Amino acid sequence: MSKTILVELSDALADAAEMAGKATVLVNARRRMPASGIAYAADLILTADHVIEREEDITVTLADSTEIKAKIAGRDAGSDLAVLKLERAAAQVAEATKSPARLGQLALVLGRPSKNGIEASLGTVSAVGGPVQTGRGGMLEKYIRTDGISYPGFSGGPLVAADGTVLGVNTSGLANGVALTIPADVAWKIADTLAKHGRVKHGYLGIRSQAVEIPDATQKMLKREQGTGLLIVSVEKDSPASKGGLMVGDILVKVADVPVFHHDELFTRLSGDVAGKSTPIEILRGGQPQTLNVLIGER
Amino acid sequence: MNFNGTFTQAIHELVEQVMPSLVIVRGRRHGAGAGIVWSENGLILTNNHVVGRHTPIVVLQNDGEYESRLLARDPDVDLALLSIEATNLTPLKPVAGARQGASVSPRVGELVFAFGHPWGQRNTVTRGIVSALAFAQNRRGEMLPIVRSDVRLAPGNSGGPLVNTNGEVVGINAMIIGGDQSVSIATSVVNEFVNKVLANNKEPTTSNQHTPQDVI
Repeated sequence: MSKTILVELSDALADAAEMAGKATVLVNARRRMPASGIAYAADLILTADHVIEREEDITVTLADSTEIKAKIAGRDAGSDLAVLKLERAAAQVAEATKSPARLGQLALVLGRPSKNGIEASLGTVSAVGGPVQTGRGGMLEKYIRTDGISYPGFSGGPLVAADGTVLGVNTSGLANGVALTIPADVAWKIADTLAKHGRVKHGYLGIRSQAVEIPDATQKMLKREQGTGLLIVSVEKDSPASKGGLMVGDILVKVADVPVFHHDELFTRLSGDVAGKSTPIEILRGGQPQTLNVLIGER
Repeated sequence: MNFNGTFTQAIHELVEQVMPSLVIVRGRRHGAGAGIVWSENGLILTNNHVVGRHTPIVVLQNDGEYESRLLARDPDVDLALLSIEATNLTPLKPVAGARQGASVSPRVGELVFAFGHPWGQRNTVTRGIVSALAFAQNRRGEMLPIVRSDVRLAPGNSGGPLVNTNGEVVGINAMIIGGDQSVSIATSVVNEFVNKVLANNKEPTTSNQHTPQDVI
């Protein structure tokens, strides 16, 4: 009787591969070796930037073998992500996971490196970490590592949870050929930006800071529980921060209505949609909350 | 529920079920490979490349050693069928067909277990999943269906079975490509080979007639 559990697990894994496989496409944008991609909208394919070696004559082969012409909608070398726009909306859309990857969980590494179908290997999530400096000059807010094998042509394909949802995008382009997975929430966010703007804008304040504790009394004044903020220890001359009135000694607690506990959150808030915009930044100055509007720089 | 215990137990049961059908196929000169009991009355299936120039010795799980007779070999599908003078063996079943609700068998992502003697380590079980259903071109230019898996195979696994969670044979382990992907000969190829051999094998065997019915 106990054997059914093994059969059930096996069936579940095959189901997961099948489900995610329907949204896993073949991306033909370099010579000789095609790569993989994930349909993140019916007309948008998320893939790895490094597998796109030409701007013209890009095709995408869907799970049902239809081949569709595609154009680059946006790309970001720093995160090694790119979004392709299909000539028509025909792709079956992938489902991103709602629960982030956990150390030790089972994960399928999936790809569609050829027209013969999907390919998979099984591993576990062996590390979840970040932020990390990528080998391509970018900063990755979070990453996943797995001990599953990425076969040739797997870059741009999904890391898949046992329920068939996508945990992240696999690429060998960020860490000297070693496979790394960009978590789905991070990748989807970057993909949104790429689809909208064609590139990722990196916001810039021009401060150095360190995380410090916020006393209970001060938290009451903030009217929320926030145990830490970022003490500004230096402000670069003529930087967006200095122009916006931020001073050494201020404790930064909120950017664009989102509380900032550590550097990670600040980094996350600054990449994406706030660059080039006047953005409310809440600080504690002399123990008192106050909000300044700062025009976030872009670089 | 003690999931962990149940899971380990399930794997243990699978191993107990399959292991009696695993044999050693030992050439007279080179090292040994693996093979599987294909029929109760002494048919042994292995890779062609495991069988050297001379007919090999087959070692069963009870350590019984048997001189074998080579019934057929085909380098183009890398399969060989041997016969030994033994009865009441425990044969493995080839996977019958796609399971309910699935269109193919095996399926990509399905759990598989390889049984063999990698690097001479007897009776070793290795886990993986089906990576891809693919084709390999043989010398005749034919495209042979193969099962690729992420199971870590090594020399000594050749000729051994790749089984699914029901203990059915989904392939015969044959080789390793690129260092990390294993190739097994699909059951359809195996069935075709065995059936052809048995149909053509007019020569009477000593005690048992091997008929195609034995295979099923």
